[in-house]
Amino acid sequence: MDILSSLMDGFATALTPMNLLYALIGVLLGTAVGVLPGIGPAMTVALLLPVAMVLEPTSAFIMFAGIYYGGMYGGSTTSILLNTPGESSSVITAIEGNRMAKAGKAAQALATAAIGSFVAGTIGTALLVVFTPIVVEFAVSLGSPSYFAIMVLALLAVTAVLGASRLRGFASLGLGLAIGLVGIDSVSGQRRLTFGQPLLADGLDIVVIAVAIFAVGEALWVAAHLRRTPLQIIPVGRPWMGKQDWKRSWKPWLRGTAFGFPFGALPAGGAEIPTFLSYVTEKRLSKHPEEFGKGAIEGVAGPEAANNAAAAGTLTPMLALGLPTNATAAVMLAAFTQFGIQPGPLLFENEGPLVWALIASLFIGNTLLLLVNLPLAPVWAKLLRLPRPYLYAGILFFATLGAYSVNLQAFDLVILLVVGALGFMMRRFGLPVLPLILGLILGPRIEKQLRQTLQLSAGDVSGLWSEPIAVVVYIIVALVLAWPLLFKAWRRMRPRTAVAVGGGTVAAGPAAGGPTAERPTAERTTAVSPGQAAAADGKTTDANTADATPANHGQEKS
Amino acid sequence: MSIIVGYVPTAEGTAALDRAISEAHKSQSRLVIINSSRGDAIVDKRYAQAQDINEVTERLEKEGIDHLVLQPVRGNDVASEVLEAADKYRAELIVIGLRKRTPVGKLIMGSTAQQILLEASCPVLAVKAGA
Amino acid sequence: MTSLSTRLKGRSELGVAALLGAVGALVLFDAARLVVPYSQSDPVGPKALPIIVGSLLLVCAVMLAVNVLRGGHGEAEAGEDIDLSHPADWRTILPLAGAFIANILLIDWAGWVISGTVLFWGSVWALGSRHYVRDGLIALALALLTFYGFYLGLGIALPAGLLEGIL
Repeated sequence: MDILSSLMDGFATALTPMNLLYALIGVLLGTAVGVLPGIGPAMTVALLLPVAMVLEPTSAFIMFAGIYYGGMYGGSTTSILLNTPGESSSVITAIEGNRMAKAGKAAQALATAAIGSFVAGTIGTALLVVFTPIVVEFAVSLGSPSYFAIMVLALLAVTAVLGASRLRGFASLGLGLAIGLVGIDSVSGQRRLTFGQPLLADGLDIVVIAVAIFAVGEALWVAAHLRRTPLQIIPVGRPWMGKQDWKRSWKPWLRGTAFGFPFGALPAGGAEIPTFLSYVTEKRLSKHPEEFGKGAIEGVAGPEAANNAAAAGTLTPMLALGLPTNATAAVMLAAFTQFGIQPGPLLFENEGPLVWALIASLFIGNTLLLLVNLPLAPVWAKLLRLPRPYLYAGILFFATLGAYSVNLQAFDLVILLVVGALGFMMRRFGLPVLPLILGLILGPRIEKQLRQTLQLSAGDVSGLWSEPIAVVVYIIVALVLAWPLLFKAWRRMRPRTAVAVGGGTVAAGPAAGGPTAERPTAERTTAVSPGQAAAADGKTTDANTADATPANHGQEKS
Repeated sequence: MSIIVGYVPTAEGTAALDRAISEAHKSQSRLVIINSSRGDAIVDKRYAQAQDINEVTERLEKEGIDHLVLQPVRGNDVASEVLEAADKYRAELIVIGLRKRTPVGKLIMGSTAQQILLEASCPVLAVKAGA
Repeated sequence: MTSLSTRLKGRSELGVAALLGAVGALVLFDAARLVVPYSQSDPVGPKALPIIVGSLLLVCAVMLAVNVLRGGHGEAEAGEDIDLSHPADWRTILPLAGAFIANILLIDWAGWVISGTVLFWGSVWALGSRHYVRDGLIALALALLTFYGFYLGLGIALPAGLLEGIL
């Protein structure tokens, strides 16, 4: 009952006209950046951090929550209409949804994605309400050793599990931790990595680094590889669903939610795996398995629900433990620190009204998103006609403005450019950016826990595993790190099963999308006979349907 | 010598193409079809996709017209691409489609047609949809 | 020499390994410089994490170098608006960086309205827009709007620079 009354108080705060306005702004902004190429919710929240500092923290987080959920809605619109997934978790939507759209069912694909996202987001948020206090209750009983272990687990799990190359993940993590070291050590007062520069003594501003990595790095990277051939968008009216579509969608929505939430809540679950699992499941359970790969509505409904439920799940460790597991959550966590709010198990106790207002605003934002997205989908699609020079110049402009306005010193802009160049290099050579941001944000907190732990045990290393929970967590850490070796061994022992299982998942995954099919070349000279033309036509259509641009491995659109 | 037609996959673009084809039949010249985009937005509905182009070439094959289809995307505006092609292929005629525009809209947006009319060194035939 | 250069060709990723190694060495070097008296209340001290991080970076550097020399390579990040089939377009990147640096040099002296206009206009030009006048007007409007928006709305006074007194 206590939870319920807190939540009601949260609704009371979130429903004030001012906060409703911020929720609406967040939802609109989020959808817009979700639709636009090259810009995503994490980048947007990072760009807004400096501006948001003058707001009431509650209003700022209500806006951020709207952006977080809104980005997902907007992303599915482009995936379906353009077949360009902005992140790995919308690859499936892009494949199946785009084929539905090509078959003239764009309205239904958009509708099942939007309504499914609403259903999953609402159930996911409800699960968040139920589970987060339980996790908090458990977490406040933990001492420094366990908390240290859990943070290590979160960091290593994100680094080792998400992303294509573990080695490159760890390299990125190391860079993030190193950036986090810069500045005066709060315990001993020693200057680390400041090189006698007084400007570095306060450390590097998280806002500046986040803006540099997400906005500057991304804008430079896209500018270097701008898509030259214009794409054709599938024209669509107002999304709607028929009775048959509802009948085929509601079960996948619920099953997708069931897959998505727990994976999102895990330290390294992410949103990618549950979307694949949901797709495979729907294909197996469907009465129309032959439609899969040609535009089955279940193949859009399930994965989209899984995607959104995972987004809600991600907020559980973020709010209960102060552990972010995706880029947007990481930047939101940085926002807590900027406001002087200590994230972690005590957040609910110290900042109860804020947290409950944030959770209430998730319900509100979800409803607003449905209202904004169902009738307005064609309008959102128009955003794609924005000339890209303005889009990317605008990103650089606002990145500069935001980073400069934090301390009003040009030196921060130098940092912005250098770290932006680092972000460019990481994208070029396949270093994931998420571990860097997590290392930067969690590094100082991990160090603090480590020192507290060993202070309690008077320098005795065994203090690290003095609590049973800590021991359990370290075993999990060991399993996560050893997983590839174990998997290899298991595969060798039982080659057939492994191949069957692996094959099943993979075939449903990116492989079904196939490699990036050839796009029409920039300048094309056609002079073909009718016969050849027909053949070429068949081939092109085929290539186009199989043409899902492979997403960034394990990374989201920032 | 050749006839240049600025093609867009819309009603006025098709009208221009129809007219250009009949002109090509009359003069037995080569037909050069230009469909261009500045390529600055991720989506450009005036840039013809493969299927569209295939339909056009199929039709030209059937009518037995010597033709060439160009789809340059080089950041230039459509007018300059048409004019450049007119130069390169020694055009005797340029055929373009006209959109309905309010005077105000035209003031703000400028006009591809206007630039072609003013700068072309050969006759320009402007066609309206449904005419 | 020739065999070495052929071996190195297309291995620009080794530069990443070199960077990781350099940062790692720097972190370790800086940690070694710290003098910390043993303290009962802080047995770990400020050195421990830098040593761990520096070592992690060095190990990553070595492993990455080995990985690259054995033919491994990181996959460049794909995205909605990215076409990886053509190589990095330096004729876009360098002017963009130029506009960015111009802004850094100008901002404190000439003020945000001027430097921001230069930044936006230069970036739009670098990205391929050729509507000089329209772009200039948009850039100026954006810079002025943000200047007053930050001043009036957020209470942040961006530098007025040369236009001090006019704005």
